[in-house]
Amino acid sequence: MTVHNLYIFDRNGNCLYYNEWNRKKQAGISKDEEYKLMYGMLFSIRSFVSKMSPLDMKEGFLSFQTSRYRLHYYETPSGLKFVMNTDLSVSNARETLQHIYSNLYVELIVKNPVCSSAPSLDSEVFSSRLDAFIRALPYYSPRAA
Amino acid sequence: MADEAPFQFLHSEVIEYIYKSADSGEVENGRNITKLENMGLRVGQGLIERLTKDTARFKDELDIMKFICKDFWTCVFKKQIDNLRTNHQGIYVLQDNKFRLLSHLSAGKQYLEHAPKYLAFTCGLVRGALSNLGVKSIVTAEVSVMPACKFQVMIQKS
Repeated sequence: MTVHNLYIFDRNGNCLYYNEWNRKKQAGISKDEEYKLMYGMLFSIRSFVSKMSPLDMKEGFLSFQTSRYRLHYYETPSGLKFVMNTDLSVSNARETLQHIYSNLYVELIVKNPVCSSAPSLDSEVFSSRLDAFIRALPYYSPRAA
Repeated sequence: MADEAPFQFLHSEVIEYIYKSADSGEVENGRNITKLENMGLRVGQGLIERLTKDTARFKDELDIMKFICKDFWTCVFKKQIDNLRTNHQGIYVLQDNKFRLLSHLSAGKQYLEHAPKYLAFTCGLVRGALSNLGVKSIVTAEVSVMPACKFQVMIQKS
């Protein structure tokens, strides 16, 4: 039961924040390339999902799963994208991501006048609160599954 | 004072605006801080008129300070001052352990050098409030670990 890592992208595709907790295997490419890969994949999947959907779509792409992990996706109306990889025991992290957005991001970044919309989030208090929040999640445990 | 967010955003923007529109040569803090404090002065004066229109007259200085710490602070920041100290000779120290305008900035030492900008308006606010209650004063603020901060009020006897 664990959270592996978390990405936050802005609406232009810049990765604003990344942190990992229990990642055993790296991607083998530089971090910049990894962010671009992740964003490109999300962009393609979202447009694919909306085109090929056999019914009227409400939320669109929510998550995908592999045999070892599940990726959860949450997009805000302002174009901010939250991506979280967890293990398979977590079926729905949407509320978690929504909480991270409204209680942590909006409170500590948007309202922080010194953190202008630069490509990266420097606020220490945001990092530490986010870290504490993730560790306090019921489905997080320090030993990876 | 229905919601804090509009005031906080506006306050941050005012500070940004003042700093941007200062002539590029002078990024020195003094002028800008004074401008912010004067804004706070006028706002404080008006606010205190409105808040005290139904209250009885204050017995003495200490009563005035207590009003500032409780009702005035609650009206503007939705909480009270955590600690009020005085030397009974005209100096009062108001301590707020979780100052609303700083709590979004950081929780510790990061961005400490930006903190004075965010306190100037509030210093003016307190000074304006006191001036319309008949008390001349000088208000300064200091911060060592955010979001706690201390406002020092020095009453001027004329």
